[in-house]
Amino acid sequence: MSVALIARHEWRRLAAQPFAWMLAAIVVALMAWQYLLALEAFLQLSPRLGGVKDAPGVTDLVAIPLLRSFSNLLMLIVPLVTMRSIAGERRAQSLPLLLASGAGNARIVVGKYLGALGFVIVLILLVATMPLALATGTALDFGRLGAAVLGLVLFASTLTAIGTWCSTWTPQPALAAAAAFAVTSLLAIVDAGARFQGIDNGGINYLALPTHIEPFFRGLVASVDIVYFLLLAIVALALAARRLERLRGSDD
Amino acid sequence: MDAPVLALDKVGRVLAGRRVVNELCLKVARGEVLGLLGVNGAGKSTTLRMIAGVLAPSTGTIRVDGKDLSEHPELARRGIGYLPETPPLHAELAVGEFLEFCARLHGLAGRSRAAAARAIERCGLGEVRRRLIGALSKGFRQRVGLAQAIVHEPGLIVLDEPASGLDPVQALHLRELVRGLGADHAIVLSTHVLPDVLACCDRVAILHEGRLRHEGSLAPAADGAVLRVRVAKPVGQDDWRDLPMVAAALPVAHDAGLWQIRLQAGATASALAAAVVARGFGLEELRAENSALEDVFMAIAAGETEAVAA
Repeated sequence: MSVALIARHEWRRLAAQPFAWMLAAIVVALMAWQYLLALEAFLQLSPRLGGVKDAPGVTDLVAIPLLRSFSNLLMLIVPLVTMRSIAGERRAQSLPLLLASGAGNARIVVGKYLGALGFVIVLILLVATMPLALATGTALDFGRLGAAVLGLVLFASTLTAIGTWCSTWTPQPALAAAAAFAVTSLLAIVDAGARFQGIDNGGINYLALPTHIEPFFRGLVASVDIVYFLLLAIVALALAARRLERLRGSDD
Repeated sequence: MDAPVLALDKVGRVLAGRRVVNELCLKVARGEVLGLLGVNGAGKSTTLRMIAGVLAPSTGTIRVDGKDLSEHPELARRGIGYLPETPPLHAELAVGEFLEFCARLHGLAGRSRAAAARAIERCGLGEVRRRLIGALSKGFRQRVGLAQAIVHEPGLIVLDEPASGLDPVQALHLRELVRGLGADHAIVLSTHVLPDVLACCDRVAILHEGRLRHEGSLAPAADGAVLRVRVAKPVGQDDWRDLPMVAAALPVAHDAGLWQIRLQAGATASALAAAVVARGFGLEELRAENSALEDVFMAIAAGETEAVAA
């Protein structure tokens, strides 16, 4: 009960702030611009693709690149969404409202997390609607699109959990956002050196975010990737709840 | 005392390797306002956080309505209202909406609107109920903070420096509000402002370096009022005892001419003033003795006493 209540309240607070609306507007405008450019390029290319066997379609050339590009943008915007969840409360000294409600650390963290994740999922759906609009005029690979959107949701779930965790580190939301961006960037490039050496199936590759999001863009939904995202999210949320316990005894 | 709403038994808390609260024992009954006094760093806020369920004690037990708070954290949800030193408010929301959320947070899902309306009326927030909290003055924000602490009608209300930063008029209104709430709730109020304690509280507990150093009632003595009198003429205790309305006279240390006078039961300050003038003592000052508490507080703060009985 308290998890859903805190999540709804977090959502309501986001909706009450101009920042969230501005962020949503900027994201939609950026992605719409990319979408139109990709569509224009596809329309110019499509006459030449007519005679090619197994030629890539609009899903390959417009929808998936758009969603892949959005996954990169998510690494920047999710920290901006989550930065206030705990850090903002600490800065405003309003965290005791939740701490004294008997809700418990885990419920507070999960409630905050779900509230922020709900906002990010709305952004994902808004962006996914753009290529889906093409279904009125052409055939789309819905299976592959569905896999890509699922991958984005799982990816965003992990980023949001990491952002929520980082938001417990400091009372400064900007620092929390920077920390979340640093952690997710590290996870994105942790295997870059290994890949440079030609290693793409080592343990270090398993740690990297791109290893697990890419299969979804290719239409592959593998349990190993789902488990990776969920595991990372659970660990981040557990660390956030643990950090909240320490905050109960601090002065802010 | 009635069955206590709140009972602390040898409660202690260690923070960052330092024992902030040590072996604290306190009881508060319904209808009673306990003032927790102490200098900055005495352990007041940590004690209140533990009472409010924000922080678990390292040692000892806190019982609310007879149940151990650590074993029944749901007690904090329904039975305790907490106003920290800085009111925990969400500035981007309107007063009414925020209080409805607080009511739901404390388990009043189906009755949140009625509960918020009741708290708004009680705290005099009707005129600002639709305004954003971030646009309110300090006094109104403090009232919203108090409203969130009482919105679920808890049996125990915990207030940390509730009059901090308020102007004298706002502080007076807040004292009246607390006094009114004290009629049917148990209230623990921390402050380092002595007039707040004298105006609001039935009992006082003084903390110093994490330990309880004084606990006592603030009810007036039954055998007569205590006054503080300053006279110009050097007089002795025998001179005071000659006055029929004086039960006892004590010189105030380090201040020749200043006396603490306890009147006989039924005697009035005006009768004493008339007698002092008639005897030619040279009356310079006469006021009700509120400073007994101040003396105790200052002595404890200065480390002059280990423990002072009430």
